[in-house]
Amino acid sequence: MALLSFLARRISQGVVIIFLVTLLIFTLLRVVPGDPVRLMAGGMAPEALIEEIAKEMGLRDPILVQFGRYMTGVVQGDFGQSFTRPASGASTGGTGFGDSSRGDRADVLTLIGDTLPMTLQLAALAVIFALIITFLIGTPAGLAPNRWPDRLAFYVSSIFVSLPNFWLGIVLALLFSVKLGWLPAIGYKGFAYTILPAIVLAIELSPVLIRNLSGSLSAVMQSPFISFGRVRGLGRRRIVYGHALRNASVPLLNLLGIQISGLLGGVLVVEFIFDYPGLGLLTINAVLQRDFPLIQGIAIITSAIFVLINIVVDLIASTIDPRLEY
Amino acid sequence: MISVPILSVRDLTVSLRSEEGGRNIVSDVSLDLAPREIVGIIGASGSGKSVLSRALVNWIDPPLEIASGSVTYKNENIFTLPPRRMRALRKEIAYVGANPQGALDPTLPVGRQIVEKIQALVPELSRADAERRVIELLAAVRIPSPASRFHEYPSQFSGGMMQRALIVDALATNPAFLVADNVTQPLDVTIAAQVMRLMRELTERFDTAVVFVSSSLPILNDSADQILVLAEGRIVERQVPERLVHSPQHPYTTQLISEIPQIWTDTAPVVPKIPRQGTPLISIKNAFRTYHVRKRGTFASYSEVRAVRDVSFDVFPGENFGIVGESGCGKSTLMRLLSRLEMPDSGSVICGGQNISRLWRADLLKFRKDFQLVLQDPFNSLPPRTPIGEIIGGPLRVHGVRSADQRRKQVLAVMEEVGLASSLFDELPLGLSAGQRQRVNVARALVLDPKVLIMDETLSALDQTEQFKLLKLFSDLQTKHGLTYIFISHDMAMVRRVCNRIAVMYLGEVVEIADNTKLFFDPGHPYTKALLSAIPTLETRRYDPEECLLDGEPPSPIDLPPGCGFASRCPKAFGRCRVETPLLMPDGPDGEAACFLVPSYPPQPVTAAAA
Ligand SMILES: Nc1ncnc2c1ncn2[C@@H]1O[C@H](COP(=O)(O)OP(=O)(O)OP(=O)(O)O)[C@@H](O)[C@H]1O
Ligand code: SF4
Ligand SMILES: [Mg+2]
Repeated sequence: MALLSFLARRISQGVVIIFLVTLLIFTLLRVVPGDPVRLMAGGMAPEALIEEIAKEMGLRDPILVQFGRYMTGVVQGDFGQSFTRPASGASTGGTGFGDSSRGDRADVLTLIGDTLPMTLQLAALAVIFALIITFLIGTPAGLAPNRWPDRLAFYVSSIFVSLPNFWLGIVLALLFSVKLGWLPAIGYKGFAYTILPAIVLAIELSPVLIRNLSGSLSAVMQSPFISFGRVRGLGRRRIVYGHALRNASVPLLNLLGIQISGLLGGVLVVEFIFDYPGLGLLTINAVLQRDFPLIQGIAIITSAIFVLINIVVDLIASTIDPRLEY
Repeated sequence: MISVPILSVRDLTVSLRSEEGGRNIVSDVSLDLAPREIVGIIGASGSGKSVLSRALVNWIDPPLEIASGSVTYKNENIFTLPPRRMRALRKEIAYVGANPQGALDPTLPVGRQIVEKIQALVPELSRADAERRVIELLAAVRIPSPASRFHEYPSQFSGGMMQRALIVDALATNPAFLVADNVTQPLDVTIAAQVMRLMRELTERFDTAVVFVSSSLPILNDSADQILVLAEGRIVERQVPERLVHSPQHPYTTQLISEIPQIWTDTAPVVPKIPRQGTPLISIKNAFRTYHVRKRGTFASYSEVRAVRDVSFDVFPGENFGIVGESGCGKSTLMRLLSRLEMPDSGSVICGGQNISRLWRADLLKFRKDFQLVLQDPFNSLPPRTPIGEIIGGPLRVHGVRSADQRRKQVLAVMEEVGLASSLFDELPLGLSAGQRQRVNVARALVLDPKVLIMDETLSALDQTEQFKLLKLFSDLQTKHGLTYIFISHDMAMVRRVCNRIAVMYLGEVVEIADNTKLFFDPGHPYTKALLSAIPTLETRRYDPEECLLDGEPPSPIDLPPGCGFASRCPKAFGRCRVETPLLMPDGPDGEAACFLVPSYPPQPVTAAAA
């Protein structure tokens, strides 16, 4: 019961957030420079033709009217079609506008559905790697504040923070793929192709997590129940793994929820560098081509995912720590 | 008693390492604990009791260290045992401390953690057996519905219940001895008395020897076989309780005993009944205050916490009015209503003939000047970076005294009055002792020359000596300025010493209101009797705990049962109590009580306006 009302509350909040994000993206796309019709019709097309096409597509209606029309479709599950991509695959070039009718263009949902699982796989692997790194480095640091494991964690996370992801991506690809031949890097032909980009993302993600874990772990280690645990006869290992880490993982989890939302930028860059066929690559191309429906669709889906992730994070956190209200 | 001691301590010295070198906190302590013996250790705050208790269970962490001496258990000095063997010994050496709420992991159910401890120390016991034992023990310490409480989390336990759960935790592995450091300190008196009774029962049942540490002699006196007096880390006296009380040898002990408040003796302070005439200074009429809190895990439903219910009383000029009750009974809410920090939902508070909810601007400022609040907690209420003179002068600035010279003069005058050296004017409050901080708070309230001071647990954090001095100060100030005091407190002994008239609160209601002598010698309400029976005192009690003391704890003010609020714990409750709510009725000339057993109570419902 409590769970249901929690879900009801959070999902309705989420819907509001998604709606606002959509409205914002929708408006921004239409007020910043860059006319999609000009890109579609090609640089040589006469102004009159462009105006005509734009009118026909409804792009000259007031923004709110356009938005209403769009949202009507969205609530019915229709995210529209891409401006530029044919149903068959590759994106259309600039000149061919006249001969492809709107029916031939790819559904936004299909485009996203093809690429989203790839990105989810990448993100999940990245989070797993990041958590492994975080616990391996952050736990000893939290247990020995101001001693060498703590300093090590500090140096490692400082180095991780200062590595630009595009540079790291290129270096890792050169090293592991080109020079050593251990892992494939460019494109996607199987799971192994996810590993290198995931490592890059994990390294981007982990510094904040390491500091958070070591900080909250060393704070938890100061709590009375930890030192009292010793007097109660619990072993050191049980105290650290059964109690201290458990308590310290709650703030870590909350941070992770936020950090995952911040991962988007990294995903764009990494997918671009590794030519990884995920949502990030799709986004970059959609933006370059001013593919309004596709950009909007991606925005809605990603914000929905963030909302879901944060709901799940809060649920897990409240099962670990019963004092947290849903 | 010529038996081999289970624990013997020899020349134990614990010192505190700091940059300027070391300081001994505990010096040359030697003691023996015989099987089944209860040794009490008493000392003032800061005398090193907690450090000694921790040393007895080998729990000394830097910056403290064992400088010399030994604690011998089973022929071995536990300080020199390797950690593995020490850990195995934890099965036989148990400890309960003064901070029940922090003692267990907040994210795991209480029962599971006790089982975890049993399994860590007695691996041969199966999980199911361990669980059965824990539930059995939870029942033995009278935790209601132990099987479901087993699965609840520390935050769902009240302080008293948590302390009982920790006693279970300590005794779960059948230890040979138990060190109990100030276990009753954080608890309300009636709960503390319950916990003491339990500890006695259980240690007897399990043949556990106990080192019982406390700052209150009356508490030790009832249970200990032998009492050691600790002063500045040294044992200055050891005696059996009766001899210690009647012929103390060391001056420090004499002083400790002289500071124990007297309640019923001939030498007890007599607070005269003062004439209650003219218009009351404060008059609170049928005040209600309900808080709405969101129900856990829901989104639009609220619970009503009925913190103050239908409270009415008058306070006359020059009176010392006391409001007593256990934690959660609505004392502090009432204080907020009286000082207009909050308004009642219905009913009114009338001060100097005006309803304070309606005050505005200049009138409100005048009210604030006349009615000053002195808060609890001397450690958090002073801004650490503001000089003392400025803290005290702050209210003057608010009330429009512009000239700094004028302010300085007034502040210095009031500082002298409350006994603060004028050299402290420019100091920061950091180095002040608890008593001095409380004086700063009083000075800050006094500087506006108010008519009424409302003291919310003002003296609770102070030890007896400081309390004495401040109470003396209060009475001097009263004679000089004609002040009226309202003391809000859970400390019956303190109230006995100073208040002319006292209101007893339970679950948001005033259940009895009476003159001092009447309340302490002939209370009308069973709850008042329970409070009196639980006062820690060395006197022969007028009210026998066996008869008056309550089981259980106050019900939550959220789901109030119909009828008398006290019925669920009242030893005298009968049929009528569960259907009709008693009202305050005169109980003799000097008091009123809300109980059907008051002789003057009408036998039929007063409002029986049947159709
Ligand atoms: N971990 C510590 N670090 C520094 N000083 C300490 C520490 N523990 C205790 N002390 C000091 O040792 C002295 C004795 O403290 P202790 O807690 O034993 O007093 P106590 O008798 O238990 O007082 P109370 O009745 O208030 O509990 C105090 O001056 C205190 O400041
Ligand atoms: S009215 Fe009944 S339940 Fe309430 S205090 Fe009196 S006897 Fe006890
Ligand atoms: Mg102590």
